[in-house]
Amino acid sequence: MLARLVVASLLALCLPVATAHAQSSLVVSVWGGNWKDTVERVIGKAFTAKTGTPVEFEVGGTIDRLAKARVAKGSPLVDITFTTSHVGRLYISDGLFAPLDMAKLPNAKEAAREAVRSEYQVGGWSYVYTIVYRPDLVKEEITKWSDLWKPSLKGKIAMPDFDPSHIITIAALMEGGNEATWQKGQERLKALKPSIVAFYSTDAQSQDLMKTGQAPVQVMLSVNAYHLQEQGIAVKLVQPKDYPGVVGIDCMSVMAGTTKADAAYQFINLALSKEIQTELAKALKAGPVNGGATVPAAFHGQPGIFLTPAEWKERAYIVNDEVRAKNLPAWREWFTANIVK
Amino acid sequence: MRWLLTPAVLVVAVFAAALSALLRYSVLEFVPGSLVTGGLTVANFTGIMSRQYLGAVWDTVLLSAATTALTLVASYPVAYVLARTPSARVRSALLVLTLAPFFTGAIVRTYAWVLVLGNTVVTWPIPMLFTPRGVLVGLVHFSMPTMILLLAAAISHVDPVYERAAASLGASPARVFRRVTLPLSMPGVVSGSVIVFAWTLSAFATPELLGGGRVKMIANVVRDLALDSFNWPGGAAFAVMALVVTLGLLAGVGRLTAIADRGP
Repeated sequence: MLARLVVASLLALCLPVATAHAQSSLVVSVWGGNWKDTVERVIGKAFTAKTGTPVEFEVGGTIDRLAKARVAKGSPLVDITFTTSHVGRLYISDGLFAPLDMAKLPNAKEAAREAVRSEYQVGGWSYVYTIVYRPDLVKEEITKWSDLWKPSLKGKIAMPDFDPSHIITIAALMEGGNEATWQKGQERLKALKPSIVAFYSTDAQSQDLMKTGQAPVQVMLSVNAYHLQEQGIAVKLVQPKDYPGVVGIDCMSVMAGTTKADAAYQFINLALSKEIQTELAKALKAGPVNGGATVPAAFHGQPGIFLTPAEWKERAYIVNDEVRAKNLPAWREWFTANIVK
Repeated sequence: MRWLLTPAVLVVAVFAAALSALLRYSVLEFVPGSLVTGGLTVANFTGIMSRQYLGAVWDTVLLSAATTALTLVASYPVAYVLARTPSARVRSALLVLTLAPFFTGAIVRTYAWVLVLGNTVVTWPIPMLFTPRGVLVGLVHFSMPTMILLLAAAISHVDPVYERAAASLGASPARVFRRVTLPLSMPGVVSGSVIVFAWTLSAFATPELLGGGRVKMIANVVRDLALDSFNWPGGAAFAVMALVVTLGLLAGVGRLTAIADRGP
């Protein structure tokens, strides 16, 4: 009771300021750094030019923003939230997202079927977790997931410890299972343990490990690998021949209780247009969700870039969001106890 | 005049609210894949009584004790020279070197250690980065400036007359240090050790960056549970347990200090 009283008092002190500030603007919640800069430059400016409504941003980590949204439930401080598709499930579980009225999103008709993640979430862009390596430090060519188990890669691999769902899913697929029957891949994953030199908790750590050569082979976000290439680090992204890369889709949702729902729909609809999707793909080095977007020729067929239904089907493995959200705590606990330690 | 207490009451209320929220969450049922919690349960506490989580507490206590001991040993000579050197130039140089780390963030310093420990600058005979050894190095470096300043303040209060008297009576330099300087500087040793031990118990950034996910201290496990597994009740339960362990350890250290102060 005391906790609620103090939190309510603090919010009461803060809310009038925030509300007054954001009254005339559309407020978008998104990750910081390049994500926010790109959304602001590519979608925000075009939206303001078209509607006259300014856009403000609330930036933060995935869970920071979730925690804030929860505290402000019913009177959201933001109107639109960008988050990963499986974390979106947590928002949905607490009634923080409003169901999407697809009639107000005509551009969603052009979106890939895979991009409409639920009745609350529509994708903004896609990427893939795949194998990325430095050919100057790893002489043997890597072409498939099973190559990670080669003895020559002992002590060279890094992968995320905050979300092992990608490698757990791949190991399960290799043993004839999937994310729902992930236990099938446990023994195979244990065999990979000697090859892992480090686990990273952030994208920045992952990139540092690659730059310094501490971990020249990684299960890595394709977007980060393209970013490293831009910085002059010669990394190679693998389009695995045996099993697809594990896809991530960052989604947009309208917050339940927003008073600016119309503007929010206009923003999301604009973000789904061919033109904006083209710019987003160029800026983020991510895949557009609108197949009509024009992507630079060099990007065609690259990991994380899916332009046709056939490409989505052949080169993308999408983990079931609900299974992922439910299993992630168990996956992390098992992974930490058996692989990390 | 009672209104002057208002700020203090507000601060206490905020801390009490945060703590009560933590306690409340620790006994609510975790529902995987949902933010909505279930009813009252002790399952969060039984869940963290596994080797994995208790191991993190044990590792934290060991690393904190080792950090405290190594920091003390490494800092004492520097503090002694800082307090006793007759050269103003040497004192200034040492002071600047001691204070310099305060002007760079902990993250920057730790990233520098990633490069040093990672065989990119020096080739180590044994693996250092992503091992408890590497984390220990980072924690000692992080703690040294504070320890040096506390020890230097304590040593500067030891009148050199006592050391000269002992030496004039035939005591060797080592004996003078063991029987005179060290006992008289114990207030600095104790306060420095307690502070370093206490803050190392809650270390986060150093094990996060230098541990490479393999070395987990209490704060890292709380973060993992709450932010990566979305298990807020589990994270709260682990934080409550860590709080109890920390308070118990600090109470023990305080008790030992009081006994030492009373003397034999």
